[in-house]
Amino acid sequence: MAGFAEYFHFGTIALTAAINAIGVGIGQGITSKNAIESMNQQPAAADEIRNTAIMGMALSETASIMGTFISILLLLQTRAVANSYYSSLAEIGIAFAICCTGLVLGLVSALPARAACMAVARQPFFSREITRFMMIVLSLLQTPIIFGFIVALFIQSQAGLVTTMRDALRLVASGMCIGLGSIGPAIGLALFAEKACQGIGKNRDAYGSVFSFTLISQAIIETPIIFSLIVSISLLFLVPELEQEDLLNGITLLAAGLCTGIGTFGPGISSGKTATAAVEQIAINPELQATLSRVTIFSQGLIESSAIYAVLISFILLFWL
Amino acid sequence: MNGLDLVESEQWLIGQFFGVDHPFLRINKATIIYTWITLAIITLFLVAGRSFLSRKKGVGTFIILKFISFFVDLIKQSLPVFSMRHFVFITTTFCFVFACNAVALIPWMEEPTIDLNTTLAFGLIAFLYAQWTSITTGGLWAYIKGYFSPFFIMFPLNVVGRLATIVSISFRLFGNIFGGSIISGIYLHAIQGHFLWEIVGIISGMNILITLFFGLFEGFLQAFVFGMLSLTYLSLALQGEGH
Repeated sequence: MAGFAEYFHFGTIALTAAINAIGVGIGQGITSKNAIESMNQQPAAADEIRNTAIMGMALSETASIMGTFISILLLLQTRAVANSYYSSLAEIGIAFAICCTGLVLGLVSALPARAACMAVARQPFFSREITRFMMIVLSLLQTPIIFGFIVALFIQSQAGLVTTMRDALRLVASGMCIGLGSIGPAIGLALFAEKACQGIGKNRDAYGSVFSFTLISQAIIETPIIFSLIVSISLLFLVPELEQEDLLNGITLLAAGLCTGIGTFGPGISSGKTATAAVEQIAINPELQATLSRVTIFSQGLIESSAIYAVLISFILLFWL
Repeated sequence: MNGLDLVESEQWLIGQFFGVDHPFLRINKATIIYTWITLAIITLFLVAGRSFLSRKKGVGTFIILKFISFFVDLIKQSLPVFSMRHFVFITTTFCFVFACNAVALIPWMEEPTIDLNTTLAFGLIAFLYAQWTSITTGGLWAYIKGYFSPFFIMFPLNVVGRLATIVSISFRLFGNIFGGSIISGIYLHAIQGHFLWEIVGIISGMNILITLFFGLFEGFLQAFVFGMLSLTYLSLALQGEGH
């Protein structure tokens, strides 16, 4: 058993750094490819396009910086953790919390950056507003990795104290919940952000309407991530402690984490697609913004009720069983 | 929450005066002090703004009028009729949340919003205001009927769905600000004590960049999102959900 502990520990260290780097690398490649293509279309705007692409790539690098940071932090604590099998098992939770989020986020951050480069090529004189808009959209898009980072730090601070299989599974469940739970909403957010950047590129008179709609929509699309964060934090801090080993309880906790983690996948994507359809219309008809946003928010509320059902099931698993 | 140990702080046990000790009767010292300092800063700004407005022309007057007219436009877009009460509520919420987030720019200060209790209070205020508006405009009967729409059996789901708005709005603010403060705190902690790193951090502008990004930019963004969401809930309450 002791040999496996080191596999888990060093595997987590390698995965956190590597998988995030893969996602971010592919994403940046897509962004720069599209930047060069749009420079080819509009050579006069090469400087503006370059600025936009660099800003976009710098912001999408957040995921890989976080992954590297966590990996260095784990490496520094090797001596303290590697002795215990369960502590190393619990660190798999960190890998889930950072890797799933970072991989998806690095990939999808390319979508708004790409759309912004195209939009600048289309409207070079509007490039400052488009770049600013893309920066705001991308910073809101980084919310999942910030949440994943918080949960990873909490898991890391608790992992050293784990002595039972049940506690190890509890921490893994917490990481899985936030890691898997942010995949769907991140994809939804990015799809929406891409269409919003494209919309501004098509019709710059719609800037004001699209801007206020974007802030509301992105906040609402990321609601499932917040549910995942709540379940993760409950798994970390609110679950009653047991002294003796109880494997069945550990599996129940794992199921609770997976329930919310997988349950937020569909609501995240479909809520993003709803807002995407609305923002396309708003870019064409800015005066319809009030009506469209009301309908969108109402339907997003209905869509997110299925995420709420998953959270309810998770809480029943956590506290009543 | 007993577990969020990364921001461990002292507590006032006011329940001990009455011989009881309950988590509800404990007050977080740091949060209260920083909130009062934030209020003092807001008051200073108000006094300064008043003196600016007493003059006819000037940069300060222009900025204040621009700010007000921006919010007036925002509320005219979102609500069916412009109302001074809602305008004051939304603008005050935005200003207070923004001041709470941006107060970390001052050295040796922490945001009051990294405490979950503060953000929960903000969320509760926004939620209760929207519910109260819904009752006063549509009447109590229509409000209660809203819980049983579209079918009778949807009642528990409607209740959970509405309560989830408090949780989501407050955890969004808390998570973002808390995450930002942890990240900048870790960065500052990492370069502390190494003379060379501190010099590099100051000269390259990395210190200022991180503080400004998480304090000012992220704080402004989250405060604005908070204000917009309160406005959205308000407009849903005013127009009746789904009509």
